[in-house]
Amino acid sequence: MTAGTLLVYGVGSPLGRRMLQMLGSGAQIRAVAADSLAPDALRAAVRDAQVVVNAAMGAPQVILGAAERLAEAMRGGPAERPLVHVSSMSVYGEATGVCDIASPAVGTLSAYAAAHVAAEAIARSFPQTVVLRPGVEYGPGCEAWSGRIARWLEARRIGDLGAGGDGYCNLVFIDDLVRTVLATAQAPASAGRIFNVAMRDPPTWNGYLIAYGVALGAIPVRRMARRRRAIETKLLAPPLKVAELTLGRVPFIGRQLPPAIPPSFLRLCAQEIRLDVRATEEALGLAWTPIAEGLRAAAASYRSKPLRG
Amino acid sequence: MLLDISELPDGHELTADLVIVGAGAAGITIALDLIGSGLSVLVLESGGPEEEPATQNLYAGSVVDARLHSPPDRYRQRRYGGTTSIWGGRCTPFDPIDFAARDYAPAGGWPITRADVEPFYPRANALCEAGEFAYTSGETFGSAARPIVRGFASADFSSDRLERFSCPTNFASRYGHKLSASDNVQVVTHANLTQIVLDESGRRVTHLALGSLGGKRLTVRGSRYVLATGGLETARLLLANRDRHARGIGNDHDVVGRYYMCHLAGVIGNIRFSCAPGAIFRGYQVSPEGIYCRQRFTLEEAAQRRERIGNFVARLHHPHITDPRHRNAVLSLLYLAKPLIPYEYAVRLHGQDAGSFGKWLRHLANVVTDPFDAVGFAWHMLRDRKLAERKFPSIIINSKANLYSVDFHAEQYPNASSRVTLEDTPDALGMPRIRIDWRYLPEDVHTVRRALEILARDFAASGIGRLEYDPEQVETEMTRFGAYGGHHIGTARMGSDPRSSVVDADCRVHGLENLFVAGSAVFATSSQANPTLTVVALALRLAGHLRRIEAAQ
Repeated sequence: MTAGTLLVYGVGSPLGRRMLQMLGSGAQIRAVAADSLAPDALRAAVRDAQVVVNAAMGAPQVILGAAERLAEAMRGGPAERPLVHVSSMSVYGEATGVCDIASPAVGTLSAYAAAHVAAEAIARSFPQTVVLRPGVEYGPGCEAWSGRIARWLEARRIGDLGAGGDGYCNLVFIDDLVRTVLATAQAPASAGRIFNVAMRDPPTWNGYLIAYGVALGAIPVRRMARRRRAIETKLLAPPLKVAELTLGRVPFIGRQLPPAIPPSFLRLCAQEIRLDVRATEEALGLAWTPIAEGLRAAAASYRSKPLRG
Repeated sequence: MLLDISELPDGHELTADLVIVGAGAAGITIALDLIGSGLSVLVLESGGPEEEPATQNLYAGSVVDARLHSPPDRYRQRRYGGTTSIWGGRCTPFDPIDFAARDYAPAGGWPITRADVEPFYPRANALCEAGEFAYTSGETFGSAARPIVRGFASADFSSDRLERFSCPTNFASRYGHKLSASDNVQVVTHANLTQIVLDESGRRVTHLALGSLGGKRLTVRGSRYVLATGGLETARLLLANRDRHARGIGNDHDVVGRYYMCHLAGVIGNIRFSCAPGAIFRGYQVSPEGIYCRQRFTLEEAAQRRERIGNFVARLHHPHITDPRHRNAVLSLLYLAKPLIPYEYAVRLHGQDAGSFGKWLRHLANVVTDPFDAVGFAWHMLRDRKLAERKFPSIIINSKANLYSVDFHAEQYPNASSRVTLEDTPDALGMPRIRIDWRYLPEDVHTVRRALEILARDFAASGIGRLEYDPEQVETEMTRFGAYGGHHIGTARMGSDPRSSVVDADCRVHGLENLFVAGSAVFATSSQANPTLTVVALALRLAGHLRRIEAAQ
């Protein structure tokens, strides 16, 4: 990409934050935050940007709201304006086995997954859109899959999950996801395409949890009995979630609350879905960060700032 | 997919590219490895998910000397998961010397080397849930490694080697969900192999006949067949099929069932250490990835060659449980809990103790006089063993008096006269039952005797204590409980020469084009190591071979 501006919507997400960190002061590519812009300003920013990136993540309404706001701003703008829309592997639902971009969703979609499906549809109404479907984002700043898990591991609330952790953990190191966004923006031939984004040979969830626990020094990593997992998700998760919703924003207290382990997390750990990323590698010429290196970075980042916020 | 034979119609015919007989450590491993391979795989399991007396009775047979060998239906399980449903979980790889031909050891070595198995050990270790394939305390614990006895120095014994412990993992409970969800693997329970049918040339299996205790009869046709039925049953199945080969399949040279090995194990002597109790560590360290590990004294290869003896390891052991004079509340509690301890473990814990009311009272007194010790131990065993998925592997009791015994585990040499044969008595499916004539050699006694001498010498030379035992009692102690239960090895041994072996280096039965054997039956030697890890590694190697030959065609 030549000199220009990368307009990033969703700067509160791990990807958005990381893009601003990595590209905020870059000489050639500048990442600019778009979330707080008023509709007219957003439309103008879209018009001036070389590439628009939708990195918004979070609750279903956040995902859908971002897609709709950006679409509104892009309508009537230059038709060739590329949009990189960052979606999620959740669009495959409960699928198992190797999933390429043509694989259909399986089972009932969660509200989160359904929001991603709808957001993809909105984004793809623009011909220059590239959709990225990342797997499990980990690394510095990734609260869901690094920060939260680190706290669970340190508290010995998760670990080796036995048969419950046999699912593939389709990891993507956050910097690799940033590089993928840039690569798609730089490859005109990628317009209109969809890419899965994850490392080629992912570990199982057990492999990830054990290796991350070792990297964190949260050792020995414990085997979590089925009974213990049921206590976490059925007995502890509901009150912890209520506490998070009610006390989460209270100074000092909110940061100390232990995060709940939702049943959906354990379902994901058992889901043997493996993202097919061959087309991504071929089209974009990417190399993935080795897991040991990524975990070292994730652990170091967590050690420097172990609590949320 | 998982289904029961009762769900299939009588006379039904099943077909598959690969038919695996037996769903234990070896059979399940091969099936797991072939998920998604494109091969259709059929796994036949005699039992169901739990032990069933009628099915287990199909393992019954006789032993020539009941003092030397446990009944054939003990220490093995005829059910989905096989003997992994009761194993202890000790994992340790074979050493390079175990594969080598040694001019002082009878019956030669293997046609393969440790290097041929090496690539499969890490995955085998993972399947056994024993963590990293790292078997020294240095590489596992670094500077946190604790020596067994501080100050012990020996050129002949290493105390850096580890044994790692599986959960212990029941392969059916742990991996059954993968087989059930697979598109290309089908597991059929309660399906017993009753006949291996060969073509007219006697060189190719055409099909298998199956029967169930419920009276179902089925036929199975495949391109290739794997017997993964354990060291005793494999010999039985090969010997029992005599339609084309009068002596049984693969037995033209009368080798099937011979060279039957277990391990030589026992507890001997007393060693009172002169060092501080804190200088002794005989317990488990937990590796970073959460695996219980334990160090042992391992006889170095150079010492084995110099002394011309077999492989040997030793561990420090607590005093004899049955003798109440130890005045240890925990040991007495274990004595009193005998009825609650499974047979397979109670045998070696309690030995041949006859028991008496007076002795029972003395043990009870030990418990009553030190109740906190006993309660603490009971809580530890409840929390860390009974309720835990990764179980604390064994009872570790440190001696306040610094007094220990030595627990040894030694290689048994292959011996053609130690063998499994058939009885005339049939089981409920008409298959002849087995007869076990386990024997050991004077050289085996020499291995244990000489290794103990060296260990005692090096304890004394290190100035840390003195191992005292009666050398004349070595043979008695190593056979006190007979052959080490559960390690059934060598009855279809691997080799290049059909006159002294049953399968080739690829585990294919000599003279048969499409019949393979997986499991400890193919071991040409027994090593000091417990067999399961190597069973799984060799099963992975065989799966790779089957995949390659299928691809080549």
